[in-house]
Order: sequence, then C-alpha cells, then structure tokens
Amino acid sequence: MTDAAPKADYDVLVVGAGIGGMESALTLGEMGFKVLVVEKEPSVGGRMILLSKVFPTLDCASCISTPKMAAVNNHPNVRTLVSSEVDRIVPRKDGGFDIELTRKPTFIDPAKCTGCALCEAACTVAVPDEFNYDLSARRAAHIAFPQAVPKKAVITRRGSSPCSFSCPAGVKPHGYISLVRAGKYDEAFRQHLEDAPLVGVLSRACYAPCEESCSRKELEGALPIRGIKRFMADRYYSTHAVPEYGPPREQNGKRVAIVGSGPGGLAAGFRLGQLGYAVTIFEAEPEPGGILRWGIPAYRLPKEVLARDVANVTALGVRIETGRKVSSIAALRDQGFDAVFLATGDRGGRKLQVPGEELSGVQDAVEYLHRINEGHPPDLAGKAVVVIGGGNVAIDSARSALRLGARSVKMFCLESRLEMPAHPWEIREAEEEGVVLTNSWGVGQVLGYDQRVFGVELVRCTSVFDEAHRFRPTFDLSVQETVPADVVITAIGLAPNTAAFAGEVALERNGTIKVDPETLATSAPGVFAGGDAVTGPSMIVTAIGQGKRAAFFIDRFLRGESTEGTRFDSRLPKVDPVQVAAEAHESASPRPPVPLRRRPAEERIGSFQTYEEAFTEDQARDSANRCLDCGVCSECRECVRACPADAIDLGMAARHEAVTVRSVALATGFSPFDAKAKPALGFGRFANVINGPQMDRILAPTRPYNAVVRPSDGKAPSNVAFVLCVGSRDEQVGNRLCSRVCCMYSMKQAQLLMGSLPLADVTIYYIDIRAFGKGYEEFYQQTKGMSVYFQKGRVSRIEETDGHDLLVHFEDVEGGGGHKVARHDLVVLSTGLLPNQGAFGLFPSGTLERDAASYVHEVDEELEPGATSLEGVFAIGAATAVRDIPDTIVHAEAASAQIAAYLRRGGATA
Amino acid sequence: MIARAGLRNLREVLRDEMVQRDRIAEALREGAKTIPQLATALRAPENEVTKWVMAMRRYGRLRELPKSRSDDYFLYGLVGGSP
Ligand SMILES: Cc1cc2nc3c(=O)[nH]c(=O)nc-3n(C[C@H](O)[C@H](O)[C@H](O)COP(=O)(O)OP(=O)(O)OC[C@H]3O[C@@H](n4cnc5c(N)ncnc54)[C@H](O)[C@@H]3O)c2cc1C
Ligand code: SF4
Ligand code: SF4
Repeated sequence: MTDAAPKADYDVLVVGAGIGGMESALTLGEMGFKVLVVEKEPSVGGRMILLSKVFPTLDCASCISTPKMAAVNNHPNVRTLVSSEVDRIVPRKDGGFDIELTRKPTFIDPAKCTGCALCEAACTVAVPDEFNYDLSARRAAHIAFPQAVPKKAVITRRGSSPCSFSCPAGVKPHGYISLVRAGKYDEAFRQHLEDAPLVGVLSRACYAPCEESCSRKELEGALPIRGIKRFMADRYYSTHAVPEYGPPREQNGKRVAIVGSGPGGLAAGFRLGQLGYAVTIFEAEPEPGGILRWGIPAYRLPKEVLARDVANVTALGVRIETGRKVSSIAALRDQGFDAVFLATGDRGGRKLQVPGEELSGVQDAVEYLHRINEGHPPDLAGKAVVVIGGGNVAIDSARSALRLGARSVKMFCLESRLEMPAHPWEIREAEEEGVVLTNSWGVGQVLGYDQRVFGVELVRCTSVFDEAHRFRPTFDLSVQETVPADVVITAIGLAPNTAAFAGEVALERNGTIKVDPETLATSAPGVFAGGDAVTGPSMIVTAIGQGKRAAFFIDRFLRGESTEGTRFDSRLPKVDPVQVAAEAHESASPRPPVPLRRRPAEERIGSFQTYEEAFTEDQARDSANRCLDCGVCSECRECVRACPADAIDLGMAARHEAVTVRSVALATGFSPFDAKAKPALGFGRFANVINGPQMDRILAPTRPYNAVVRPSDGKAPSNVAFVLCVGSRDEQVGNRLCSRVCCMYSMKQAQLLMGSLPLADVTIYYIDIRAFGKGYEEFYQQTKGMSVYFQKGRVSRIEETDGHDLLVHFEDVEGGGGHKVARHDLVVLSTGLLPNQGAFGLFPSGTLERDAASYVHEVDEELEPGATSLEGVFAIGAATAVRDIPDTIVHAEAASAQIAAYLRRGGATA
Repeated sequence: MIARAGLRNLREVLRDEMVQRDRIAEALREGAKTIPQLATALRAPENEVTKWVMAMRRYGRLRELPKSRSDDYFLYGLVGGSP
C-alpha cells in the first residue's frame, strides 16, 4: 500500500458473503489487504451452500463451499460479521468511505453458544424455514442450516407480541400460551411464576388488558388468555399442593420491610425474596392479600386460590406478619430494616356529601365487601338495595347483594353506559343476574325516617366530564326521581391509604405518595412506594408491575449501584397487531374463540361459589393454538432452560458500528423470482408445484424430507416435470433476460432425480436449451442420454386433480403441434434470477448507477470488470448480471484484481 | 377430475404442529403409518400432515422405515420413547 493511501479501518468492505463475496474477500485477504465482510444472514455461504450439487461436474455444493466458508470466517486479514447489515455508505473527501452498520441482535451470545441446538429442540414456536425455501418448519431458536459458519444459534424476534407488551405486570402471555399449545402445562405455569407471582389470582380476577391488545381481536376475536391461564393454574395447583422450591440458598443479609400485602407488596416480596433479601411484609389485617382477600368477592376469586398463591411467596422465606399496622417508617428503620417499600393501597370512605348520608342503612362499599369477606355479611335478605356508583366496586357490591338474598338491587351512576368505568362484561353479567342499572343519575339526598334510610332522591346528571376530560359532573335539578331503599351502598371511589406517612414522605395533593416514576423512590432515602397508594385505584397487574419495579430498584439501591439512567423496562417495540392480523388472514381457517362457560345466572346468585367454568384440556390447547405468534419468539424461555452454556440473552439489543474503508465490494447476489407472479402455474396454490430452489433442497444431503417425496402426501413421485424459463425471457413479468442457470440446474436436478428414483419419468418443458459454458453441451447430451424427455413448448397453465396430480397444458411446438395436456405427479418451476435492489439504497440517492436490467452498472465490463459508476465501489458476481457459480467466481477474481490495483494506486485516482 | 385447490396459510399450518404432534405420536403408538394413513387417523389434509411429520422427523420424534422401490409411501414410526 502506498503512503498516499487514505487512512481507514479497513481496505475493503465486502457486502454479502455468498460465493462471490467470499472469493473476493479471501483473495484480497491473501494479498494482505484488511477486509471487512458484512453478511445479513446468520451464516456465510449465500445461496450456493443450499444447493445439492453443481453443474456440470455434479460436485457436492457444500463440499466446495464449506472450506471457503471456514476460511473466510478465520482468515487473519478478514473480519466477518454475520447477522449484520450495512445501513449507509457515504463517500469521504479523501476517497474513502464512512460506513454505518448494524449488528442485529441474535439473542444468543455467539461467544458462549456451542452450536448444540438444544435450544432449537426445546423451542415452542414453529415457523417456515427460509433456508429450506418454506418446504419445512424450523423453530424461532435455530441454527440456520447444518453447515452454517459460524455454527451458532439465533432467535427470530420481530418485536414484543402485543399481549406481552401490554401486561403492566410484565407477564408474557405469548410465552405461556405457546407452552400450553405445546402441551407443556407445568412449564407454562412456571414461566408465568418467573414473571409474576399470583398466577391463580390473575387467572380468576385479572381484567386481562392482554386480551384487549391481542392481534386475533382483529380477526374472529381475541384469545381467551385469562381462560388459558386458569386452565394451567388449576392444573398445576391440583398436582402441586405446596410450592416446589424453598428459600434461595444464598442470603445477602440485608433486610427489607414491606408495608402492605396486596399484590404490590406480595410481588415486591417475591422478587426480593428470590434475590436473597430477608423480607418482612407487615399487614394490618388478620390475613394477607389486601383487596384480593378483603375486597374481591369469593365468586370471582376463591380465597383458597389466593392462599395457595401467597404460599409461593412465603416459600421463599418471606415473612408475613399479619395484624401489624405500621404507622411510622422511622420505627422500621429502628428495627434494622435497610429499605422500605410502602404498598398500602386504598381505603374506602369517599363521601357523597349529600344530606342523609349518615342514616343507618347507608354503607360504604369497601366496608361492606370487607364484612362479606370476613364471613360476617350484613343481613340483606328480602331488602331493597340501592348501589351508587358505576365502577367495578359498585358492580361487585350489587352482585354480592343479590347473593345475600336482596329482594331487589338497583344501581345508579353518573356516567352514561359507555362512560362507565366498569368493564362491559361485568355489567352484562350483573344484569344477567338481575341487577337493574340506570345511567346518568346523581344523588340529591338520602331519604330517611327515624334515622333509618327509606329511599334515595336522584337528580339527572347531564354530563360527567368537562372538555379537558376532568371529572366535573353537571346536573339538571329540575329532573328528579325518588327510589325506595332499605340499604344504600356507596361505591363512589377509593382514597389512598397513606395518611399515616404524611409526615415522613411527600404526598401528592390527592393523597397518593409522590415517587420518581421510573424508580418508585419516595422523598425519603431508602423508602420506595408503589401500587394503588401511588397510582390511585388501578388493577392487580399494575400493582404487581409496581412491586416488581420497586424490587428492581431497591436491589440496586441496596447494592450501592446508581439508579441513574437505569431502565427497568427491557421490552422490544410492540409488533403492529393490524399488520400481523392482515398477514395471518390470507388463506387462514376461521377459528372463532371458544367462550369461557359460566353457570346460569339463577344458579350463580344462589351462593358465593365461583361461577366461571375452567377450560378442558382440549379447549385450552385449541384456544392457545389460535395464537398468531405475533413477535415470532414467544419469550417462553424454554431455550434458556435448555441451553447448557447459558448463552441465551433475550435482552440483547442491536449494536451500531461506524467504520471507515478505502473501497467497497458489493456482492449482494440475486433475488429469486417469486413464482406466485405467474398464478396460472399454480405455485402456492397446489402443493406439488414447487420451484427450482426447493427442488435443489429436496435433492441436497441436508434435505428437509427423508427422501425425494412430494409435498402433498409424502409419495415418491414417478412422473416429474420441469418447466423452464419461469419468470425469465418473459415480458409479462417485466424480465426480458435469460436467467442462464435454469436450463442447466434443471438438467442437474433431472439427473439427480433419475439417480434416486430410477423408475421415474422426467420431462423438461423448454423453449430452447442454453448450454453455453465449458462442458455444458456435454452435460445436456448426457441428460438426454439418461432418457430425460425434452418437450419443446411453453406451458400455459397447470391444474390440479383430486389426487394432487397436475395437468400441464402446453403448446407442442415440435410434435403434432397445438395445445396438449400431460399428467405429472410433481412439477418443478425452474424459476429465474432477478437483480437484487438492496445495494442501491446504501449510497446517497442515485449515485450508484444501474444498467438497463437494474443490475449494478459495470462501467467497462471488458477492461475493468466490477468497476461501477462510483470511484472505489466495485460490484461482484450476480450483483452485476445473471451469473452461475463458475462465472461468479471468475468475475469475483477479476474484480478483486481491479480492487487491489485501485488500492495499490493509493485509492482514488483523481 | 379437476380439484378446486387452495393451500392453508403456511404459518398457520406449521403452528398446528405443536398440537398435532401429540396426536400423531398417539396414532403411531399403534404402529408405523404412512402419511395418508396418518391423515385419515387425524382427519387432516395430507399435505399438512406431511409438514408435521417432516418437522417431527427433523426434531427426532419419528423416523422413516426402509421402503422397497415399488412402494409409493414411506412408513414412519416413533423414535424411542418419544415424545
Ligand atoms: C435453484 C438454483 C440452483 C442453482 N444451481 C446452480 C448450480 O448447480 N451451479 C451453478 O453454477 N449455479 C447454480 N445456481 C446459481 C448460483 O446460486 C449463483 O450463481 C450464486 O449463488 C451467486 O453467488 P453470489 O455470491 O453472487 O450471490 P448469493 O449466493 O446470492 O449471495 C449473496 C449474499 O449477500 C447477502 N446480502 C444481500 N444483501 C445484503 C446486504 N445489504 N447486507 C449484507 N448482506 C447482504 C445475502 O444474504 C447472500 O448471503 C443456482 C441457482 C438457483 C436459484
Ligand atoms: S423464548 Fe421460547 S419461543 Fe423464544 S426462542 Fe426461546 S424457546 Fe423459542
Ligand atoms: S395472537 Fe398470540 S401473540 Fe399475538 S397478541 Fe394474541 S395471544 Fe399474543
């Protein structure tokens, strides 16, 4: 290299590691140039490595390719990046180039992966195998193909599946759904438990925001995700009366106090317990669970399910001290706790602030539900009950009143039906049971006699929210109504249970605890807070999410690590559900959801027994099988468990690199023609119409099937047809060029077929045979000599018979002439090669010229092979024209000589 | 006779393997079967059963038995105690 050479990290960037790119990289590396090879697939080798044999020598394609693949991966002067893409190539003033590239996350650490493929065997997501041209399935976790170099597994992830993205608790529904689909029920439960405790509770009482986000909602209806969870939780608990684990072996000696044992406190305790902290949860009530224990009625959440869930937390050694109300954080510090998590939730008691509210018979909903849940329900038998409120608490109160024998239960709320905070399904179920709901009424006063309530005076509510959607109800006082009532239950909102700590941590104006929204740290050092006490009334999953977040930052705090700039959320961006649904829709079978069965309303109001029936195994599995695998990998983590090298890293992120190079070699190859663009030939519609690349795979030693069999039924074919020039020399599809390789590869495939199926008839439909290269004419004659029948004539269309045979309509040019029909049991469309357009987008717009056929333009093919319109940029092999392997190799060598000369001259010649 | 053709969404067919593989294993427990025989047992289209069988073969759950040249179809049998 000369002194005038511009300084750069590499002499050459080779884009694409097919046979052309590898050849060029090795030649230049051997000459002493520093080469960077960037390949977007997880292995080098391009398309050649996927071939069976090569024409005309019938040498094994992998035997020729694999030594080159290994060499390019190991050459001291060549750095090879797979699963990487060049984003931009920008010419520099000194004649070199600035390169921006992305190393795509493979989610498996290549330094640790040994290529054992145990992850692949364990993976629960099946997808089409692009390296077998969709003839067979692979897994989301996979090694590209058996001879891959480097032989490292990668995971296909398109993003976060909408269900998993939407869960505030960080549960991954897609993960346990794919495990249930695969019949791995206990694994499904454990996967959930790793993400969040309280699996049983959530299976009964979660409001399931995941179902709202499910992509299948765009088709026939969302997956019944909670129902699937109920199946796996019930099943697991029926065989695991007690937890399978105990406290972690290593304790770190630090103590954390958690105030409150609702879902927020339990989730934090669970996580911190797993991390080896000595956790004590203080609970004012006589039993743990918070609203789960004292608020939600048993017909929605049986208390024994909660108790079993709590056992999963205490099994870790987490102590729950019940009947211990904490009113001072300082006292906890005095007891030696290193950190505190406040998860005190809500209390009831918001007042109507109307006359008569103090009358006997008027009850606060929270207190009322508490009494029911402690086993001392109020006597409502034969009474007329009025419930005020339009949220979930009001609905629970009303439905409980029916179960306590009330004569009538009427619900009044300010909101219109659409504005009600309660979920539509809850409202529907309440109405089925006999609750009478009337919308758009407020309470004027509670009417009483002798200190006892006898009715409610209602006033018409004209609107609930102002323009800024703030709660500002307005009334029309001229419209009033009176309803009789023996009991009035008020469910008009919950207040945070934080008054005890007002002097020790800063509170918001509404009484919630002020926290850093990322870390949940309060104004007091070492004190964190979460759940409803911070968010206001929310959902179980939100509280669990807050508990997990707090645990994450408490752990960092106690390990003395900075929380600055640390993010708790490691989700990939959400996959677009509309797009997934649109893709899944094509030729899919309609699969309406199986609804969860509920007992008849008359029967269910007879008791507080649970009324929702669990799925059977078949229902659960078939429901799970409706999943569209939106993000591809489901995050089930079976691979994590299977990998003996601890190589799986689902949190891996893309890495961006910037390098400088002196020259660029584009070896981006060709794009195969998509035979679906010729619909009359039936590709994609008929199982036994396949394309040339697929036939090469079927004939390859690493083939997708056990032998040459037809895809429709596994039968060994006995009468195979090849149709040449599909997508080549065809104005209809916009490609006038001959693809040069299809005649030859079809003859190669025909010869190989005769080798493995000696009794089969093989016909090649051709326009004319182009056997132009060295030894090609002899190969043609040899093929004819093997009794392959050459039929001159263009094929116009193909039809399928009942037995999946194919009727090929063609014009008989040489024989009797005219339209003829022949029957075959397998048809191979010898599809051609098209220019790969990818290279053009890498350069500043329009600077890399294309030729008339849209290949990269070689400015002087004869004298300067590979030189393009851009100084210092060269193009190799099939990037410049249709070329077969010998042509590609010769061209790569010629272009490498040009590149070497260019570099030796010192770069740019100007 | 000309059949009205239509192949089901490939990704959907392949996803079904996760459920169908247990049903295939169940059917093979009685003895080795060809793909058409399995399709009858499962009441599923033969081309889809081909995909599931080949995936199960790839991941070591079943294998083909030797066939003579005159047989049209391979018989497939379970591997060891699989699944
Ligand atoms: C069915 C079939 C059978 C064939 N049989 C034969 C045969 O028997 N004998 C024969 O001589 N020829 C055969 N051919 C032709 C042969 O496959 C090609 O000649 C050869 O593969 C061309 O090599 P290449 O390196 O130029 O391109 P490719 O092999 O296509 O390799 C290009 C590489 O570049 C990568 N790439 C593309 N864009 C980017 C980017 N932006 N960033 C990073 N990487 C990128 C691609 O992933 C790929 O790995 C056959 C072709 C087909 C379709
Ligand atoms: S997490 Fe599950 S779905 Fe994803 S790659 Fe691993 S095993 Fe496959
Ligand atoms: S289709 Fe499956 S992965 Fe997609 S959102 Fe629904 S449950 Fe989740």
